[in-house]
Amino acid sequence: MRKHLLFAAAIALSGLGIGLFASQGEAAIKTGARASNFILTDSNGKSVKLADYRGKTVILEWHNPGCPFVQKHYNSGNMQKTQAHARDMGVVWLTINSGAKGKQGYLEGSDANSLIADQGLKSSHYLFDRQGHVGKAYGATTTPHMFIIGGDGDLIYQGGIDDKPTANPADIARARNHVAAALDEIAAGKAVSVASSRPYGCSVKYAS
Amino acid sequence: MTFPQIISSPRIVLSALLMLLALLFASPVSAQLPRADGANNIRTSLIAETSAPAPGSDVMLAFVMSPDKGWHGYWENPGDAGIGMTLDWTLPEGVTAGPLRFPVPEPLMISGIMNYVYEGEHAPLVSLSIANTIAPGTRLPIRVRADWLACTDEVCVPESGSFSITLVAGNGAIAADRGQRFDGFRQRLPAPLGAEGTFSVRKDRFRIAIPLPSSASISNPYFFPLTDGVIDYSAPQKVFRDGDRLTIETTAKADGPDEIAGLLKIGPHLGLTLTAKRGKVKAGGRPVGATSGGSGNGGEQASILIMLSALGGAILGGLLLNIMPCVFPILSLKAISLSRAGGDEASARREALAYGAGVILVCVALGALLLALRAAGEEIGWAFQLQDPRIVLFLLLLVTAIALNLAGLFELPSLGGGERLASRGGTGGAFWTGALAAFVATPCTAPFMAAALGTALILPSAAALLVFAGLGLGLALPFLLIGLIPALRNRMPRPGPWMETFRRIMAVPMFLTALALAWLLGQQTGNGGLVWGLGAALLAGLLLWWLGLRQARGGSALALIALPVLALAIAAPALLPMEAGQAKADLAKRGKPDGVLPAEVFSEARLAELRQQGRPVFAYFTADWCITCKANEAAAINRTETATAFASANVAVLEGDWTLRDAEISRFLAAQGRSGVPLYLYYPADGDAQVLPQILTVSTLTALVS
Repeated sequence: MRKHLLFAAAIALSGLGIGLFASQGEAAIKTGARASNFILTDSNGKSVKLADYRGKTVILEWHNPGCPFVQKHYNSGNMQKTQAHARDMGVVWLTINSGAKGKQGYLEGSDANSLIADQGLKSSHYLFDRQGHVGKAYGATTTPHMFIIGGDGDLIYQGGIDDKPTANPADIARARNHVAAALDEIAAGKAVSVASSRPYGCSVKYAS
Repeated sequence: MTFPQIISSPRIVLSALLMLLALLFASPVSAQLPRADGANNIRTSLIAETSAPAPGSDVMLAFVMSPDKGWHGYWENPGDAGIGMTLDWTLPEGVTAGPLRFPVPEPLMISGIMNYVYEGEHAPLVSLSIANTIAPGTRLPIRVRADWLACTDEVCVPESGSFSITLVAGNGAIAADRGQRFDGFRQRLPAPLGAEGTFSVRKDRFRIAIPLPSSASISNPYFFPLTDGVIDYSAPQKVFRDGDRLTIETTAKADGPDEIAGLLKIGPHLGLTLTAKRGKVKAGGRPVGATSGGSGNGGEQASILIMLSALGGAILGGLLLNIMPCVFPILSLKAISLSRAGGDEASARREALAYGAGVILVCVALGALLLALRAAGEEIGWAFQLQDPRIVLFLLLLVTAIALNLAGLFELPSLGGGERLASRGGTGGAFWTGALAAFVATPCTAPFMAAALGTALILPSAAALLVFAGLGLGLALPFLLIGLIPALRNRMPRPGPWMETFRRIMAVPMFLTALALAWLLGQQTGNGGLVWGLGAALLAGLLLWWLGLRQARGGSALALIALPVLALAIAAPALLPMEAGQAKADLAKRGKPDGVLPAEVFSEARLAELRQQGRPVFAYFTADWCITCKANEAAAINRTETATAFASANVAVLEGDWTLRDAEISRFLAAQGRSGVPLYLYYPADGDAQVLPQILTVSTLTALVS
């Protein structure tokens, strides 16, 4: 493709000056690389900027309340427990909804606040990414899809919430919670032993 | 910041909101609703090929899954999202279940997320083996719980089913219709390729080379990795063929392990399983048309970028056209006539707009004509892309001719009439003036038009049309400006020899483009192709020089010369030494077939008949995609020595072609304990079948009958 475009461009330039650009595509961030900064609006209309949390560990959780895999972790209380555990450790937890308007799980701010109250979400902020720019920059493909960003701003974990890719809440007890385990390892000054895993769940309902 | 408390009774509002939420989630816009009755959206049943399996044998079980319209189920590697089916068996003693075997899936891109799915009826299969210790008549209750995910473009529902069937150990008899149904299921399973691939990961590029005979026909090839985390599922895959090798290139996700597994799809429901080891993979080959897999959105953004830049470039190009020697005088005369006309600003504006419309319309019509030609070409299988060396050679010749024209080696004939057109007045006339200007200007805009044509050939249709519209807009722009802004009319530069100089200078980037194309051609076809291409360019240059000389003497022999040049531009790419040479080299490597062994189509009935007649039989099983098979056929089977030896010993030859996974052959192979091809069997006139080695030589075969 690149060669194709390069030479199309060469022909065009001499004749018409037509420049063609290869699209950059959706580049996910590799574990260990710098996490992209972003500014999103939360459920209370407040702007939240990732860079403001430099120095703190930040967790990104991709969320869609209509997805059965998200429901598995919320109806069982597993996600809230993990959130509370993280907040107790001084970790910032950002729940992000990349659902586009008209798609499953799309929420208005007030609906999100009702959901937060009803389900007892313990996240620091519930953020909207309706254009999907942040989700695509991070390569978020599923709900849930978890990312941990270290205090230095580098990505230290990405993947599933745990290692049991099912919709069955009974599996939670037998699963290894990758996020909780990583937080404990970080607190103990150890390297994160599982730095990436395969995310599982519904696809993120991007606009396009 | 506090949340505004406008509501007096938050609890009521809260519950109303929650109800609203529930409605919102339960009714995705314009999508298939999950079944309200709680039934599965992928209706599933479990059936056995026989309910009376013989002890000591295997019985095939099928999960027959029928997704409702708009729903899909997942392959064992679901892609970016989703989950494959899992099973939990409860089996009686003496019965063991094999692995779940999935049919060949389809790629389905949803909002940039790749899913590997089945949208129609599909049947994952499991083979149960019945121990030979089980006494006939024993009841064998089989129970299994299956969990799978059913999704639409919008929603996902985890579904499950508990299935139980009771088998009774018996004689293994299979009812005809049931057997046929299972043959159909088996046909959709992938076949083992029987050869190993090689993959490499370098700078985020994943490349896998898979041995596949050059003669094997494929459509919409796609590589489904079984090993997760190696490739970026949603990235488009580029496929190349180079002799007996198929290469797939895409974006790597991570470095990955040293051995990966996957499935190469080469046709509808036709797939080959393979493993690949890390190694060096050479780039190149003939492109097979990039598959993004499904209706990708990723490409759309690129197209928009391409279209925007194409439009900008085309406007600029159109502007340049105005200073070409045959356009500028028209423009300049027109400007003078407008300024002479004086005061009537409204009519000047009208005239300018009409002229602009005329120019743009002609340019777009030209573009539409080109697209129609391109569509016709695609119909008959021309590939309009720079990855095809024939197109590169065609463009090389075209660009060389353009450059030589710009450099002044020869002239295109003048259509004349420019001055007459420019002097015509009136609003109605202005439209036709514009339309005709685009035509009349052809002789000297042709080089640029040709470049636009070349570019448009490899652009998406919409972008190609934009190029032409932009070209028209650019061409019309100066006139529009002088029509709309009176002050500009008196500031036009005078036509003069500077225009010729400008034209000569424009030959330089054109020659550079030719150079780049020659380089690309060399990359794609090697030295032979490069020399071929340069030779053709030289010949075209000589012909055009001759044309130029005749023109200088006042002769007009355009048709006389243009025809051979055109013939050359078509013949040279068509005859480009590329695939033919490659195929020959590949055959030479494994031994050129110098004879053909006459063979009949394999069937078990025909085999039995021949054996009955007491004739020795050589049966071989092959597939177009099987490299070992094709190599053995070329090197040992289709040889004069073999044919002579078999003929003198009255050996009957049966050929079983498993390219499309013929059910009878599948069963026969399974009965021989094989899951794939090649298989070579020799049945002496009296005595048991002999299984021959996978790598044959002439002497192995002739020794059978000596």
